[in-house]
Amino acid sequence: MTKITVNGREIDADPKKPLIAACHSNHVEVPHYCYHPGLEPVGSCRICQVEVQQGTGPARVMVACRTFPAEGMVVQTESTKAHDTRRECLEFLLKNHPLDCPICDKAGECDLQDYTYSEGQGEGRTHEPRRKLEKRKSLGDVIVLDEERCILCSRCVRFFEEVTKKPQLTVADLGSRSTIATFADRPLTGNYQGNIADLCPVGALTLSKFRFQARVWNLVKMASTCAECSRGCSTTVEVLRGGEVKRFRPRENAEVNKWWLCDTGRFAFGPVNAKPRLDGSHNRASLAQLCNLLAQDAGALIVASPFCTQEEGAALLEFVRERGAKALFLSPAPNALKDDLLHTGDPCPNRRGLTELGFAPLAPSEIGSPRTLVLVGERSAELAGAALAMAQRVALFDTQASSAPNVALCIGVATHVEKSGTWINVDGKKGVLGAAKPPPNAVRPLPNLLTELAALLRAQPAPR
Amino acid sequence: MVIIKRKELSLAERLYLPEIVRGLTVTFSKFFQKPITRQYPEEPLPTNEVTRGQPRLVVKDDGNIACVSCGMCEAACPAYAITIDGGETDRAIEREPKRFDIDMLRCILCGFCEEACPKDAIYMSDELELADYSRAALVYDMEKLKRPASALRKRMDYVNHINDRWRT
Repeated sequence: MTKITVNGREIDADPKKPLIAACHSNHVEVPHYCYHPGLEPVGSCRICQVEVQQGTGPARVMVACRTFPAEGMVVQTESTKAHDTRRECLEFLLKNHPLDCPICDKAGECDLQDYTYSEGQGEGRTHEPRRKLEKRKSLGDVIVLDEERCILCSRCVRFFEEVTKKPQLTVADLGSRSTIATFADRPLTGNYQGNIADLCPVGALTLSKFRFQARVWNLVKMASTCAECSRGCSTTVEVLRGGEVKRFRPRENAEVNKWWLCDTGRFAFGPVNAKPRLDGSHNRASLAQLCNLLAQDAGALIVASPFCTQEEGAALLEFVRERGAKALFLSPAPNALKDDLLHTGDPCPNRRGLTELGFAPLAPSEIGSPRTLVLVGERSAELAGAALAMAQRVALFDTQASSAPNVALCIGVATHVEKSGTWINVDGKKGVLGAAKPPPNAVRPLPNLLTELAALLRAQPAPR
Repeated sequence: MVIIKRKELSLAERLYLPEIVRGLTVTFSKFFQKPITRQYPEEPLPTNEVTRGQPRLVVKDDGNIACVSCGMCEAACPAYAITIDGGETDRAIEREPKRFDIDMLRCILCGFCEEACPKDAIYMSDELELADYSRAALVYDMEKLKRPASALRKRMDYVNHINDRWRT
């Protein structure tokens, strides 16, 4: 560790990390566009300039992302000289930046907009027309590029070079005509394209599925965990007006997903937005019916969904143990999405957690043809697939009703964005789920339903 | 306790009749003046560009709505009367509202939306009347809010004139 002075305060800095990282970890705000903690610094945007004085030399203005802390370094981030230099850089960045914040999807979470509001001048000094470039250039199915808005920070270029290790983007052309382009105009490929839209500090790279869908300040954000594989990436769920989930975005988590999220998880709002949902209006009748089914068949097969949280798992375990049955959870075969970055290919987000609780995995093909099958939890019917038809009678706790002829009753439960709880990922790390929106009318938490069911069963006369 | 002294009446006032005549003079003189009562609703209220009536959306001369659904008016609205859902278009301006609702029962006619709009797309019209048989009918959708720019021209010029006074 190296001792440096930032704004008159002595701090310990890691000499291997750039100065800007030391500033940020000590709550000193330094604006930055091209710098990202997950990428190699290049110093192309020049907005992170601070005044640095070393030894007996004069104070110089240097970019904080390409300067490394040295013993005795004195840094001023808020001096007049640093401010003026940054302001001049900002003016150049804004020289060709279109004034379409009202149209731009990034407005409200745009680094350039934020810094222009706090530091920039009210009016431009140039009279020349702004450069005209392509406003909607499709880079494959996921990303749309607005060339005019791009400030050439090259974060997206470096993401493909350094994180996925498959370079796909480059800065093409020279000078003011420079643009971001794919090699030979081929569309982007891979399962990690969506990340470059998050990385983009301005609104140049936008997600085709989110374009013009919502203003970002209208989205209610909640910390959650990705449900698409057992990696359990930390995410933020963003819900528009308490209704539809509009975005899943990665949430920084050094132990699991760092800053990234795969496109499978990013665009997995289909199942959570699916309509029509099963509500809880028939809960009472359905629970009584289920109680009868379970009382008649002591050997009923009760299988949890791998989407059950630890809390739901514990409640179900208690219920199953009381009946003297085996605790099982559905464990479908791994899918082909496995890669070496994040996706594990295992569609069970809480496999490890349920296993640790004492549940045993059960492949859908092993269900066989029980007299009574009780599937408990989100997406259980979908994961059971064809095996559902083999059972004589099925009781379903799911988010959507099933029309299969052998489904005797359906009880509505909440999706993973509508309840709070815990999942444990493949490496044993805890992932939190936050309730980002309310569940449909009268849908009750699974543990409550199970407690009520257990009470009903106890009150039932013993089977003959 | 406050004691209010009764006014001393003069002789003419005490005689009663002269005062009656004086009062009737005022009454009869009004017969020959233009009446100031307005026969609303048969006779509409006078409006001008300063009238801050219900907000309306501008349809530009090329037939397209001026709104780009940026959400500024929605954010500025103190009564949460505005709801906007955006969407993509093929026009040069890529964004347009797919849904633009103003709940006229919530609207307090404050004009913040007009001030917030960066695209000169929403203006306070001179329309003031608001009556219907259901609440749902008073949540105006985009079709009910659209007005040609010509209908709002006077207000647009007035607002621009006011804004120019603050421009340095």
